[in-house]
Amino acid sequence: MKAIYTILGLMLFLALSSCEDFLDVNENPNNPQDAPINGLMTNATYETSLNVQAIGSITSNYVQYLASPNPAGASDIMDASNYSGLWFDLFNVMTDLTDLMEKAEAEEAGHYLGAGQILMALNLGMTVDVFGNVPYTEGFDFSSVTPTYDDDQALYSEVFSLLDQGIQNLSGNTALSLGGDDFIFNGDVSSWIKFGNMLKARFMLHTKGTTTYDAQAVLTTLASGMTSNEDDATVVFFEQRFNPWAQVAINNENLLLGGWISTQFIEALDGTSYSTVDPRLSLMIGATDDGEYIGVTNGAGRGNAPEQGARSTLIPDQYYTYEDSPLLIATYAEQKFIEAEVALETDPSRAYTAYLAGIEAHMDMLEVGDDEKMDYLNNPEVSMGASELTLADIMKEKWVALFLHPETWNDARRFDYAYKDMTLPENLNGNLNGQYIRRLAYPDNEVSRNGSNVPDVTLLDRIWWND
Amino acid sequence: MKKNFTYCLLMLLLLQFNGAVIAQQSTVNGKVTSAEDQVGLPGVSIVAEGTGTGTVTDLDGNFSLNVSGTNTVLVFSYIGFATQSITLGNQQTLNVVMQPEAKGLDEFIVTAFGISQEKKSLGYAAQNIDAEAITKTKQPNLVNSLQGQAAGVQVTNSGGAPGQSARIIIRGINSLDPGANNQPLFVVDGVPVDNSTIESTGTPRGLSNRMADLNPNDVASISVLKGAAATALYGVRAANGAVIVTTKKGKAGEVRVNYNGSVGFETVNQLPKLQDKYGQGFSGEYQPSSFWPSWGAPIAEVQQTVSDHKYQDNWNRVFNTGVQLDNNISISGGNEKATFYGSFGNLQQEGIIPFSSWNRTTAKLSGSVKVSEKFDFSGSVNYSNSGGNRVPHDRFMERMMYWSETTDVRDYINEDGTMRTYSNTNPIYDARFATYEDNVNRVIGNINFNYTPTEWLAFSYRLGNDFYSDQRTEITPGPKGIDGEVPLSSTGYLEETRINSRDLTSNFFITLKKQFSPDLNTSLRLGNDIFERKYDRVTGRGENFVIPDFYNLSVASQIFASQGKSIRRLVGYYGDLMMDYKNYLFLNITGRNDISSTLPKDNNSFFYSSFNLGYVFSENMELPSWLTFGKLRASWAQVGKDTDAHILGSTYVSPSIFPLNGQVGFTRNSVYGDLALKPEQTTSIEFGLQTAFLDNRANFDVTYYKSNAKDQIIPVPVSDATGYSSYITNAGEIQNTGFEFILGGSPIENSDFSWNISANLSINNNEIKAIKEGIDEIVVGSQYGYAGATVTMKLLEGEAYGNIFGSSYQRLGTDPDNLFLDRSLPVIIGANGFPVRTGTQLILGNAVPKWIGGVRNDFTYKDFEFSFLIDFRTGLEQYNQYANFLSAFGKNEFTEAREDFRVFEGVLADGSTNTKEVWLGQGEGPDGVDYGAGYWRNHYRTTSENFVSDASFIKLRNITLGYNLNPDLLERTPFRTARVSVAANNIILYTPWDGFDPESFSAGAGGNAIGLTGLGYPGVQSFFFNLNLGL
Repeated sequence: MKAIYTILGLMLFLALSSCEDFLDVNENPNNPQDAPINGLMTNATYETSLNVQAIGSITSNYVQYLASPNPAGASDIMDASNYSGLWFDLFNVMTDLTDLMEKAEAEEAGHYLGAGQILMALNLGMTVDVFGNVPYTEGFDFSSVTPTYDDDQALYSEVFSLLDQGIQNLSGNTALSLGGDDFIFNGDVSSWIKFGNMLKARFMLHTKGTTTYDAQAVLTTLASGMTSNEDDATVVFFEQRFNPWAQVAINNENLLLGGWISTQFIEALDGTSYSTVDPRLSLMIGATDDGEYIGVTNGAGRGNAPEQGARSTLIPDQYYTYEDSPLLIATYAEQKFIEAEVALETDPSRAYTAYLAGIEAHMDMLEVGDDEKMDYLNNPEVSMGASELTLADIMKEKWVALFLHPETWNDARRFDYAYKDMTLPENLNGNLNGQYIRRLAYPDNEVSRNGSNVPDVTLLDRIWWND
Repeated sequence: MKKNFTYCLLMLLLLQFNGAVIAQQSTVNGKVTSAEDQVGLPGVSIVAEGTGTGTVTDLDGNFSLNVSGTNTVLVFSYIGFATQSITLGNQQTLNVVMQPEAKGLDEFIVTAFGISQEKKSLGYAAQNIDAEAITKTKQPNLVNSLQGQAAGVQVTNSGGAPGQSARIIIRGINSLDPGANNQPLFVVDGVPVDNSTIESTGTPRGLSNRMADLNPNDVASISVLKGAAATALYGVRAANGAVIVTTKKGKAGEVRVNYNGSVGFETVNQLPKLQDKYGQGFSGEYQPSSFWPSWGAPIAEVQQTVSDHKYQDNWNRVFNTGVQLDNNISISGGNEKATFYGSFGNLQQEGIIPFSSWNRTTAKLSGSVKVSEKFDFSGSVNYSNSGGNRVPHDRFMERMMYWSETTDVRDYINEDGTMRTYSNTNPIYDARFATYEDNVNRVIGNINFNYTPTEWLAFSYRLGNDFYSDQRTEITPGPKGIDGEVPLSSTGYLEETRINSRDLTSNFFITLKKQFSPDLNTSLRLGNDIFERKYDRVTGRGENFVIPDFYNLSVASQIFASQGKSIRRLVGYYGDLMMDYKNYLFLNITGRNDISSTLPKDNNSFFYSSFNLGYVFSENMELPSWLTFGKLRASWAQVGKDTDAHILGSTYVSPSIFPLNGQVGFTRNSVYGDLALKPEQTTSIEFGLQTAFLDNRANFDVTYYKSNAKDQIIPVPVSDATGYSSYITNAGEIQNTGFEFILGGSPIENSDFSWNISANLSINNNEIKAIKEGIDEIVVGSQYGYAGATVTMKLLEGEAYGNIFGSSYQRLGTDPDNLFLDRSLPVIIGANGFPVRTGTQLILGNAVPKWIGGVRNDFTYKDFEFSFLIDFRTGLEQYNQYANFLSAFGKNEFTEAREDFRVFEGVLADGSTNTKEVWLGQGEGPDGVDYGAGYWRNHYRTTSENFVSDASFIKLRNITLGYNLNPDLLERTPFRTARVSVAANNIILYTPWDGFDPESFSAGAGGNAIGLTGLGYPGVQSFFFNLNLGL
């Protein structure tokens, strides 16, 4: 009997002394408590490019690059769709950038801090441009479960402040250097600085209709911007993960329909809306089985056309749709069109030069042959001369050069969708009262989780710079 | 630590507790015989009541037992015979005649840790299901065999696929967490085992819940412990109740060999009502390669020019007759010192969807050895190998939706192995080549030691393990490189998944017994329970195969890998005090302290208790003679609950896409686990009345329960702007109340003919009392519907679990504050003559049944047996995704009206009755109006309310006719027993639901979005032929 008590006593003693260690197994074996700063940079650069593409895939139907093969497609008809996924993606990158900047500050990695600030400015700016007021000051650190919304104009000040700080930090010292973890510039700091200035000009241009706009300041900023296509901010895609537009084209080939081209886009390039035939058409989109370029009218659907071969779509292995094509975040071509628009009123000849340089930059990207390029550039409808250059000319060429890019929707809203021959889609969302969409609706997730803070807006309410 | 120490110290002190009763020892001898044939009964259990002393009779029925004192009450029990209690007095010899028991086996019930307890003494509701009731159902999955058999227990078959999971819920859903496992804990021979369902990633394929690994033929009985009171001793893991499975054991006596085999055939049990008039094409025009399967011209019309154009009856012809072969053999025996049981089982099943299959091979060995009067040990090992080809049933049925009704679906393959099609993907080709095979090897084992040094003290130790490896291989072929082929995927992929899971359970307890007076017996159990689960999943995926049809990760051009590991540990200390006053008043108090590795260290130790009272008034007061037995029960119980492993705080994850260019990216995990998380607490009360009448010929039992789960650990969805999407914290409360009724009896009982009936009925009411301030709703799941018909299952404060939200028609006089759709109001008809839709999300129904129940009848007439089991559920609605798809593609029977005019019932916006006549077809109608894609595509399919409908049913679950060969006939054979039987399952289904069996749903047993049927594997009916032989 005594032996039993001894054994039991011993067992209990052992149990007691090892209890705490035995139960101390809750540290997550799958997810680390901390992440290396370069891992955060990798994901932030990669996801930022995807965010640009995600917004582009919505707005490409608004600006009539693309059209749904089905009648009354939600994007085509400017319906209030639920973009909970996009909202998550934007805030997820901004959350990671918050962590990245905090780490960079602690580690005195000035270049990481600067690049983080520029990416933060870009993501925040894109978010404001589509949603208007959004949470920011109470965001990212879980200080509030239901963060309040910041005013969109105040957020623009934050965007500019982040860009200024970013450019400054990139110009200073750093304890850690960017490298292959940076999917945009592979660690090239001077490209980051040019990118920061280019973005600053882009966001300043958005405010053209407001009192805060200063054309001279934009031109000054542009002087430190990109100088050639080499400076383009892009993420080149991967063997393991195809460019998302390539995936759209591949899926469409496999009858998962998508990437159908709008009649508006084709007619602008094939000699219908303008007399010139644009050599870029066949490099950007696919032809029908009969070698023709036929679009779909936005909102109307493909009618009796079969799933394949009778309409133009994105097709694999073109500039935008190689599996390893770059996703374009900001380009030299766009910068040239910004310059053209800003200079137009004060310095038409500078504007004209920039306008032609923008077209040429885009043609070079697509590798348009020299003869074809010169033919197009020398066509009087294109090279109308500095005195004849209008905003509409700049907007048309910028629209072509920014194919699939979300910046075009910002342009379109500033330009009141006044592209030549552009008409409202068929089956337009009835709530729009015959007008074009001006913003995205706040997503369902946000309404159900933070409902009391979500502003009450309609799709016709404008972002502050568009008022 | 300090707290733990107190408990440990307490235990040490209790070990010093010494029995005060030292009484005179004497020996009693005797023989136990059966009243039927006066032959000695071997293996009868004899226990001296209130002590740990006991024995079993030998092969001839003789026994010998040391007892103390003359007041000793000996309890004789044997399965199938009435238990007898005899006060010893001065007798030295005691011969006992056991009476066969008419009423079945529910006198004793196995409760916590495999302790067999007299049901009479329980202060809470528990129900027992015997081996025969289980195997008669012919369900390969043990969970399915509980269907309709116990009050308050809802078992839902997630579909008709071989091996497909079944979901079991006891007394309603207790968690607001959409990902919570609301199912009870399964315990096999005292060892908790894993019953998780790990669904396939991607399209649903109907995988198994892990209890399906157990061979139902090895099961001796199942008891269902429903409330927190019944399960306080299993701790946190049994917060949703417990299902206690006892497997068959050898008995002292001759070696017995039993064989049973069956062959079964199954077919689809119900189809939606379909149209057979219109064929392929759109807008009423015949188009032979159109995507549209049945919006074309009338088939009869086209047939005049295209002779082979006909309705192919694909929905009947696509399904095979499923086949099921089941063979089991067992051998058992032993003597008074040792017993053994061994078995082999093999089940092979092919389902109704072509190429779906599931096999299970099991082997079991168990034994017990009685080393001495003081020491015995026992153990068992269950091995099983299971798995099969899991067809993508949702995708299969979706492809059936798109498949032309005028093209033969079974003509699916060309000679070169490519798909034969007009352009759409053939469902059978996909089912055959897009494979997903699982192969599970599992060992469940336990070993028990019992040491009884003196009659008032016993030590018991049990070590259990549950280990399985689950290997899964998914292949979707890419193009073969043959001109003109339609491949299943443009790249093709192979995904290899390896899951290893190991549960270890250690349980040590001390039993102390003391009789304070002849009227007051007490027993106290003190124990320690340790649990550990280690889980590891590794997935490798390869895409883009360099050589067509050669699948190996090493030849894929794109490779992705991921891993998920977890470990969870629990240490529990518990005590269980039972007091029995004069055998009519029973009090049971339990207490348990759990320490969980999953909670923050400051909050990870928590205590809870239960109080159960049973009062057998029939033994305490004079009652009319027709009332044989009466007992009142009352209990109050709490149970704590921890959470999943590794969820606390903030972490970073590397998205599965990495590495890219040699870089590994990181993002902040969007889930944040509260660092001050505390255990969840469920409090329940229960009152019950158990009665028996007319000499146990009839019995009636009623239970009321109410349970409140507070401080729930739930992932609260939060604004993504916070830096997280989900915040795991203590929030919310959910309440379940209900009644359970059990009615049973033996209306007829004589030597030739007997009739036994048992019925159960239960009602459950659920209410979400609170979520969290500022958070309006929790989304449990949603399911696609065309053009705005998508429905969502959401939880809202003040409402019941399971509400389905969706779009509806606008109605005149709608109260804008009413969350529920009021179908009684008149529908508003638009100027175009069609009902006006609103996208406002209203509650269209609730997917949790209000009432469930079942009735089982067993008849015997001489050597024949006949039985049937009916179960039903009512008061629930489900989303019928099939109906949504069928209407989008013009396949429902009602779309035959497409050339008709109709005046929609309803009112115009001004309240006046609608009189406008509209055409239902596509394109320009006879009235010259262009109707576009027509009524069903433009209006009907876009509105969820058309697809959320009553999913009640009554099912004839099982009907069996058996014949036991007469012993006289068997004399000349080597067999002791022989039985042949025929059985049928689900041959009658009565339901208002238009579609496949409403029981099927695509989420699988692991999910909570039960009301969303998806394109689930259609339910089946089956016929079986069985043979049982005993040597």
